[in-house]
Amino acid sequence: MEQQIQRLPAEQLYQKELDTLIANEQYPVPTGWRMSPKSVLTYICGGTSGGMEIMPKYIGHRRLVEIAISTLVTDRALLLTGEPGTAKSWLSEHLAAAINGDSTRVIQGTAGTTEEQIRYSWNYAMLIANGPSREAMIPSPIYRAMEQGAIARVEEISRCASEVQDALISILSEKRITVPELGTEVPAQKGFSIIATANTHDRGVNEMSAALKRRFNIVVLPAPETLEAEMEIVRTRIAQLAGSLDLNAKLPKEDVIEKVCTIFRELRAGVTLDGKQKLKSTIGVLSTAEAISLLANSMALAGSFGSGTITDQDLAAGLQGAVVKEDSRDGKAWEEYLENIMKKRGSRWLSLYTECKELNR
Amino acid sequence: MTAPHVFGIRHLSPAGAWHLRGYLDQVQPELVLVEGPSDFNGLIGDLVRAQVKLPVAVMAYTKEMPIRTILYPLAEYSPEYQAILWAKQHGCACRFCDLPSEVFLGIRQAREGRRMAETPKELEDGDGAEPVYRALDDICGDGGQETFWERTMEHCADLDGYRAGAGCFGRSLRGLTLGRREEDAENLVREAYMRRVIRDAVAEGFAPEKIVVITGAFHVDGLADPALPPLSDQELAALPRLETLTTLMPYSYYRLSERSGYGAGNKAPAYYELLWDGLQEGLPDYAAERYLTGLASYQRAHGTNVSSAEVMEAMRLARSLAELRGYRIPALLDLRDAAVTCMGHGYLSELVLAVADTEIGTRIGSLPQGISRTSVQADFYQKLKELHLERYRSAAAQELALDLREKLTVKSKKSAFLDLERSFFLHRLRVLGISFAALEQVRQEHATWAERWTLRWTPEAEIQIVEAVLKGDTIEQAAGFVLKKKLEEAGSIAELAAVVEQACFCGMPAAVSMAVTALQQSAVDAASVAELADTAMHLSVTVRYGDIRKLDGEPFLPILSQLCLRTCLLLPGECVCDDAASAAVARAMKQMNDVVVQHEFLDGERWDRVLLQTAGRDDCNTKLSGLAAAILLERGRLEQAELEIEMQRRLSCGIPAELGAGWFEGLSMKNHYALIARMHLWEALSDYLDTLTDEEFKRALVFLRRAFADYTAAEKDRIAENLGEIWQVNPTQVSEALNGPVSFEGLDDFDFDDI
Repeated sequence: MEQQIQRLPAEQLYQKELDTLIANEQYPVPTGWRMSPKSVLTYICGGTSGGMEIMPKYIGHRRLVEIAISTLVTDRALLLTGEPGTAKSWLSEHLAAAINGDSTRVIQGTAGTTEEQIRYSWNYAMLIANGPSREAMIPSPIYRAMEQGAIARVEEISRCASEVQDALISILSEKRITVPELGTEVPAQKGFSIIATANTHDRGVNEMSAALKRRFNIVVLPAPETLEAEMEIVRTRIAQLAGSLDLNAKLPKEDVIEKVCTIFRELRAGVTLDGKQKLKSTIGVLSTAEAISLLANSMALAGSFGSGTITDQDLAAGLQGAVVKEDSRDGKAWEEYLENIMKKRGSRWLSLYTECKELNR
Repeated sequence: MTAPHVFGIRHLSPAGAWHLRGYLDQVQPELVLVEGPSDFNGLIGDLVRAQVKLPVAVMAYTKEMPIRTILYPLAEYSPEYQAILWAKQHGCACRFCDLPSEVFLGIRQAREGRRMAETPKELEDGDGAEPVYRALDDICGDGGQETFWERTMEHCADLDGYRAGAGCFGRSLRGLTLGRREEDAENLVREAYMRRVIRDAVAEGFAPEKIVVITGAFHVDGLADPALPPLSDQELAALPRLETLTTLMPYSYYRLSERSGYGAGNKAPAYYELLWDGLQEGLPDYAAERYLTGLASYQRAHGTNVSSAEVMEAMRLARSLAELRGYRIPALLDLRDAAVTCMGHGYLSELVLAVADTEIGTRIGSLPQGISRTSVQADFYQKLKELHLERYRSAAAQELALDLREKLTVKSKKSAFLDLERSFFLHRLRVLGISFAALEQVRQEHATWAERWTLRWTPEAEIQIVEAVLKGDTIEQAAGFVLKKKLEEAGSIAELAAVVEQACFCGMPAAVSMAVTALQQSAVDAASVAELADTAMHLSVTVRYGDIRKLDGEPFLPILSQLCLRTCLLLPGECVCDDAASAAVARAMKQMNDVVVQHEFLDGERWDRVLLQTAGRDDCNTKLSGLAAAILLERGRLEQAELEIEMQRRLSCGIPAELGAGWFEGLSMKNHYALIARMHLWEALSDYLDTLTDEEFKRALVFLRRAFADYTAAEKDRIAENLGEIWQVNPTQVSEALNGPVSFEGLDDFDFDDI
């Protein structure tokens, strides 16, 4: 029976594209890499290679991807930060997939992550039976990446306790892990680097120390640059989700996507799209990821309980929940937005305005 | 005839300046011709004086109003400047060879006239090559054509390579755009004129191979082609002209960076100066290293630690970024991105001041005294004459009283508004900080039509006027610039409101609307009702009396409704406060009510709803609840019966004295007569007082006395009548008690600190 894996790693999902890029390589490939920096860029931002269309994985902000790739070329560790939902892990996974063909050397950082998970731990049964040996040791993903000259990923680094973060400092500056129990040390092979991701503001994150930050080149991933880019992202992801989740609803109309993205962008930036009018932005984060889940939710609602088409009422309910989360000030900001901006947008927005106003009482 | 050497450049290009010098050394010309109006020739001597500090600009401006100007900014690294300097150092003749400025401005006037006539047909202003540059931007991706130019031309170490590249660029641009736009006619005339100058020089005895023409890359083909005829005498005479004056003026890197686009300026003058220094040092990485260390030392000097390791990492990253694009030397874009990544923790905002300092810099040029006579000065004197203010230009202080209203007795429109125009002019000088005119306080506070000024001329004023040229070409432009700066720097909504006011006084609608936009933006962030209401009040006054200054109030209206909405949203929350804070909120409520009453378009219903809410809630400061009730009463939104019920509820037995009396104090802050006329209210008050114990009564007394302090003697008499009737005593006695001096007997041992 065919296995139903919920989500395949990037290198398997896009294996064909990766193989094509490697086969058609034209530029020098750095040690430890599978393709040249230029090809990595093409893989992530889209383009063509050997007659094959490469799908863009990250839309907009090509320059930031260039900076990220250049950082990894110089052996420096890369830290991707930004607000929740700005595709940090997504980008990190695809970078590792393109450079090494393996995005699974990953440490998923939590408040419970220990230093052993960063360095190495032991198979205690073997340790007690035979004493310390290479066989009894369980190397961490970073340890393995060093041995192989590859890239390791640390997800949500700012959620780890400070002392665990500190363990990375000497690894990054000396590029070796010492194993006193075995009296050896593992020097990093060329090509070793780390891609870490961190949220800028969220609950339960630990501020990173200056010493650690200094060892990273930091790239801040912003929200999508233009309305069109954001709509493009939402459109493609919704289409993918609708397929894999079997939602029995029609895909949202262009008009609906545009409205949601417009509202999200304006509330996020605190200014109308034309830049003419400033408005109160919300405290809660309104990410693209949230816009996607809002629309997917509305589709599920419409598919399971409604006519199959997203109505303004479904949309208003989703928006109310997304915009006004816990802070009562967001309720006021939303009301100001409705009155100052949406009400004056004319007939196309009128019914959405009425529905939203009704709900925000 | 053999053709002269033509060297195509890009204006303000360090590599161009450097290679041009090398080229001149090779050719050893006897005559250097530089693109620039030929009537600037007289300024060449001044330009290369030792005391001149660059950047400076060569400027021509019309004698007649409105003043039009044409400006050629020059920096140390301008190829034109280096050519002139080379000529001086090598004892070689040097001239400008472009159309005289009077023709330039004449053509421009004619074109503007034609455009006015043929509106509304859309005709974009500006360089005809704009679409090509936009396309170039798109092809080059991040950084656009600026970065493209820097990578391909500024980093070019080879003279012939540079010349070939510039030539190719100019030729392609020419091929793509020539003949498409109206401006190209001007380009062709200019080239014909330059050919004429070359012909004349040859006729004068300069051998063509001993002449080097320095011109924008675009014109190279137009000059080098021997088949093209020079401009004939007849054609030259037929060109439109405007009489002009020419001068040198000090310039600044900041202003240079503000003018963007081909030829007119560059965005990072200080960085380009580093490129120039690097060429002289012979170090290709000089600018990159200096730029990054410059950022680091600025950060350190301003309290942010940046380690040398970070600078080195930034350098590595910048190189790696350039290599990704296939270049060896990092461009400014690479350097800035690398610095942000390695030194700014990913945020440009952390480095933005350092970036401004290192890229733009603060350099200001200077000229020896006496060689500058700028357009702002000319504008100033012209305006003095126009507004009949010349006699005030004396060392003795003289007073000038202005009546801004339209004078109906005079015939011409100009003299009807003479005083208003004068006021605009003097206010603009005031904004510019030119000490010629000082505004006196007018005794009558609300006489919006009268102004008194004291005018006095000093040598400092003259200097201040010359300095104003750095801000704009005319007094109005410069004032607009200053107002814009003020808007950018303003920290609070009150400061912005002040700028709006100033812009109104200056009679500058464009500045007003810009200020209004800024005000709208920060009104969003303003947190306190007091600030919002105060601003709304000011705006409302400006809208209502603006027509005296011929101001259109329309743009204020959306903001006014926004301020109103925001006050409505915030008010209920802010009403939960202590007595100390309540005074400001009370003031805001009254102000906002006045504004709502004055402007019908505002959402009065919402305002009523908010007031009702405030009046009815028990957790608000009772004084404010009382005031809300009073305002509702005044607006006719509160029925007699409702008020009585509310009064009974507020003043019922068991309510602490300060709360009950405080509510009454709030209620008494407005419409005294309406209260006095309602007998039931006083009965309710009297009944309430009867329920208080002695100690409570003393506390209530403090609030009640405060409440009655605002009533006039006559009003108090009528209250006395009311109370007299209720208490069945002689009204005169009560009146004496109310109007008489306060007796503190019995309050000696009262603890005021509690209240």
